[in-house]
Amino acid sequence: MRYRYLFSQLVRRELRQKYKGSTLGVLWYVVNPIVLMGAYTLMFGYVFKLQRYHDYPIFLMVGLIAWTFFQQSLLAAAESLIFQGGLVRKARFPRETIPASSVTVQLVPLAAMLVLLVVLAGAIRHTFTPALLLLPVLVFLLFCFVVGCALVVSVLHAYFRDIAPALTALLLPWFFLTPTFFEPSSIGFVQHHHWIGTLLDWVNPLAPFIEAMRSIVYWGTTPDAGRMVYVVLIAAAALALGGAVFRRMEGELAVVV
Amino acid sequence: MLEHATRTFSVRAEQARTLRGVLTGKRAKGPAAITALDDVTLRIAPGETVGMLGRNGAGKTSTLRALAGIVPLHSGSAGCGGRIVSLLEVGAGFSRDFSGRENIYLQGALYGFDREQVQARVDRIIAFSEIGEFIDVPVRTYSTGMFLRLGFSILAHLDSDVLLIDEVLAVGDEAFQRKCLRRISEQIAAGATLLLVSHELAAIERVCERVVVLDHGKLVFDGPTTEGLLHYRRLTGTEHGGGESHRPHVSGPVEVVELELRDAAARPSSVFHTGGALHVHVRLRSTPPLARAEVSVELRSVDGTRLFATRGSVELAADGSGGAVFEVSDLALLGGDYDLVVGAGEPGASAVPLRSVRFAVAQVEEAEGVVDLRGSWRSLAATEGVR
Repeated sequence: MRYRYLFSQLVRRELRQKYKGSTLGVLWYVVNPIVLMGAYTLMFGYVFKLQRYHDYPIFLMVGLIAWTFFQQSLLAAAESLIFQGGLVRKARFPRETIPASSVTVQLVPLAAMLVLLVVLAGAIRHTFTPALLLLPVLVFLLFCFVVGCALVVSVLHAYFRDIAPALTALLLPWFFLTPTFFEPSSIGFVQHHHWIGTLLDWVNPLAPFIEAMRSIVYWGTTPDAGRMVYVVLIAAAALALGGAVFRRMEGELAVVV
Repeated sequence: MLEHATRTFSVRAEQARTLRGVLTGKRAKGPAAITALDDVTLRIAPGETVGMLGRNGAGKTSTLRALAGIVPLHSGSAGCGGRIVSLLEVGAGFSRDFSGRENIYLQGALYGFDREQVQARVDRIIAFSEIGEFIDVPVRTYSTGMFLRLGFSILAHLDSDVLLIDEVLAVGDEAFQRKCLRRISEQIAAGATLLLVSHELAAIERVCERVVVLDHGKLVFDGPTTEGLLHYRRLTGTEHGGGESHRPHVSGPVEVVELELRDAAARPSSVFHTGGALHVHVRLRSTPPLARAEVSVELRSVDGTRLFATRGSVELAADGSGGAVFEVSDLALLGGDYDLVVGAGEPGASAVPLRSVRFAVAQVEEAEGVVDLRGSWRSLAATEGVR
């Protein structure tokens, strides 16, 4: 790919640009999420005692890490084409590199914290199992899924500037519907109405990712096959759809950014 | 390497819409759609040097953008083979928080080069741009001139097959513009293809062998440079006949019917050369018919400064018509644009300026300015001294 160098340049730039001049620099990418998670753990792990699970912080963090990656990637990608408007107007190059690099940047905190979490979980819950080998695969598939979404969001936002604020609004309810705090099957309400469980588990494309990752990190077991198949399919679909939408709409970008 | 560049298309200008606009079906208020390019077909072969002229809004930038692949066409096709490098906006492609040096790498990456290729040229690029120590300082602090210098320097040193340059060179000072043209010539000698948009006709004359003229989105001329420049002047009204008329509120009896500049071979032209010939052909008519008329010829620089003036006397025929030629065989003017103003009047009265025509003198390497002093250098022996 002739533009590999461009891609790495964009990623490096974005990594540095965000916190350029600050003392902690790149570390902020990790500090912010840790603080956030600490807060959530405190609230829901101890204050409100949703403690159905042992070592609730670990349970919670798997989901939160994955969700944060998704959310931050999309929000960054939405603005990315406009932010790099100068490049778009300057030369012809595969413009997909721009939203893709925004997502790649978010891999850094994701990877850092996942590693930390795996070590912690392994120590506390003894979950160093061969299932861990599937974790990189899952991360890769999640990455593909998010890139697909990022492509759509970035190109739409360039033409319809309401997309980014609309996205911010949409992400909040979506967050609460995603099984980060809970497993749907364990809620009494769901046990009586199975269809809600199905909805929460399967219609939300992020749910299988999170639950699969949680199986590995928290439970130490291999995620169930159905979920894996779903995850592969949805990642491929997102990437294909995202790519198609992007290609269809990217024509006039130099005019609108 | 480079295939033909073909463009047949029309592009419309539209503003960004909001979701609300789409949902409610309302159109964003604004100017009506503009056809930036209207059925333009242009083929450029590898190694050609083409100048593109036209008034503002004629479609020149759209052409460059379409060729660079930055903007799509609504109909027709645009193709450009080989490695394309362009300079369309002075500050585009620069990340404000990063240094000039880092931006060089970014732009190299943008054009599809890899790290080693850019690294090999970095020092040359920095040297040419004359930015000095500012190269390691965030470009946020750069002036427009510095952006141009760096931008052009990058463009001029990466191995590219096609150079697309918009009228940005005007931002630089004369010395740098000269340097740019020289560098471009080097690249052309090495086989690059050039498409240059400029309002500086002398530069176009110097570098381009072919000229295309656009007007309101249509291609109105495509041919050799000299004729192209003539056509352009005619178009913009700075050529003979269409020249500025200094009609005084009191018109005298003598009129300038025709004013034309010709070269040594008696062909009408609007570009001349230092040391070459320039003939001013004037046709007059007086009503009521006079026996003689006064003619004046005045040379002015573009800002109106009077550089030279002289007058002469013309014998008129019985019907009051007559003509004269002011012949210059060894033009002592250097590169640039000038106005020639011709006036006429009754004998004994001062000639009133009546018509003017703008012309250009092609740039030369060795000297700058207006007047050619025609001196020459000679070495001093050790014993020859200054008292």
